[in-house]
Amino acid sequence: MALTRRSTRPRFTLLVLVLAAVTIITIAYRGHADSVINSVKSDALDAFAPVQSAVGDVARPIGNFFDGAAHYGSLQSENARLRAENSRLQTQALQSADAQTAFQNLLKTLNLPWAQNIPTVPAEVVANSASNFESSIQLNKGRDAGIDTGMPVVSGSGLVGRVVVASRTRSTVLLITDPTSNVGVRFGPAGNLAVAAGQGHGAPLRVDLIPPQVPVNKGDLMSTSGLQQSIYPPGVPIGTVLTTGVPRGSFQQAVTLAPVADLGRLQFVAVMQWAPKS
Amino acid sequence: MSALLRGRVVLLVAVVLTAQEALMAGLRIRGAHPDLMLLLPIAFGLVAGAERGAAMGFVAGLLADLFVGTPFGLSALVFTLVGFAVGMGEGDRLGGGWWVTPLTATVASAAGVLLYAGLGAAVGEGQMLHEHLATITIVVAVVNGLLAPPTVRLARWAMDLGRSSSWSTPVRSPMR
Repeated sequence: MALTRRSTRPRFTLLVLVLAAVTIITIAYRGHADSVINSVKSDALDAFAPVQSAVGDVARPIGNFFDGAAHYGSLQSENARLRAENSRLQTQALQSADAQTAFQNLLKTLNLPWAQNIPTVPAEVVANSASNFESSIQLNKGRDAGIDTGMPVVSGSGLVGRVVVASRTRSTVLLITDPTSNVGVRFGPAGNLAVAAGQGHGAPLRVDLIPPQVPVNKGDLMSTSGLQQSIYPPGVPIGTVLTTGVPRGSFQQAVTLAPVADLGRLQFVAVMQWAPKS
Repeated sequence: MSALLRGRVVLLVAVVLTAQEALMAGLRIRGAHPDLMLLLPIAFGLVAGAERGAAMGFVAGLLADLFVGTPFGLSALVFTLVGFAVGMGEGDRLGGGWWVTPLTATVASAAGVLLYAGLGAAVGEGQMLHEHLATITIVVAVVNGLLAPPTVRLARWAMDLGRSSSWSTPVRSPMR
């Protein structure tokens, strides 16, 4: 009898644990416990923040050392290329400053919203997600700095993603390359609309819903559309067209988009204090 | 379990969690992160049997779930099943060679990743079955295979099961 009890106990434990896990998944999935789960998650982020910073401070210079040693040659040529580009851009910046002033005045007169007028909170990227099934980053600021769930995040040059968890001292940003991310985009002189979907870390975005007759060229810039109920404000650059083509028999073009922001090497970002209009 | 042993287990879990979230997050091998949390139920299944393997899987899984956006509780479910399955497998029947621990960890990790993506797709996250799944599976399985012997040794220390002659040989669980 003792033997039977011994051999059935592990199975009973397994049954209880599996039922518990399935219950948690079900409750979380139906959204009943969103507030509870989010607050536990944000507490975990806060509790883990000091440990993560400490380990990161020790590990980062070591990683950078090996990275630098391995890529010394390419860094030199990159440096030269960046110098050339810098001087070219400085000229361009001077030229566009004038146009920018005129544009801002025009917007003010017409009372139109524009992404560049939204106040931002600068933040440092402290970690990438350790998960293989999502593309996200963690910032070193949270609710205490005025960051909240749903806020768009940009780097100097373009859209990065949006805040999905905001704890007191940390926030998690879901990148536009995450497979669950969809962004409404506008492009071309006619202001055509489409949707850019994430395809995972390091992969370009896939642009859906462009009819075959709409002209799209390699290098075209696509920006957020900011239509009603959009989760992003209008006019934030997302990426440039990488490839185009119409698959035979398809009702839409196959277009891919390279994000403007270097999502694999983000160091500093700006969180836009903007909430989607509901 | 005495307070000391409980403290050791908590310490081991904390160290592995820190290593995963602070170090592995920055490490990509062919675009995929290793998954050290999955090693915990495997190691405890090997040294302490199915029941403790499953219990460790549940705890480690819930902790892992706190830091990701995939359905909450999914890692807990998968890790529980992996810990139990490893504990049920009679590792020492295979002759107890040095390769038993790494091989078990490799196979169990691969199965764990595929089960995770499959169940994720089943609960509506179809994007989890993406084209890099094969790479992810191989990276997680190989890294866990390599790290399994030291982790098993730590698990044995945490459970105070003493050192066996060869530290990769599974010790007979007290349950059998």
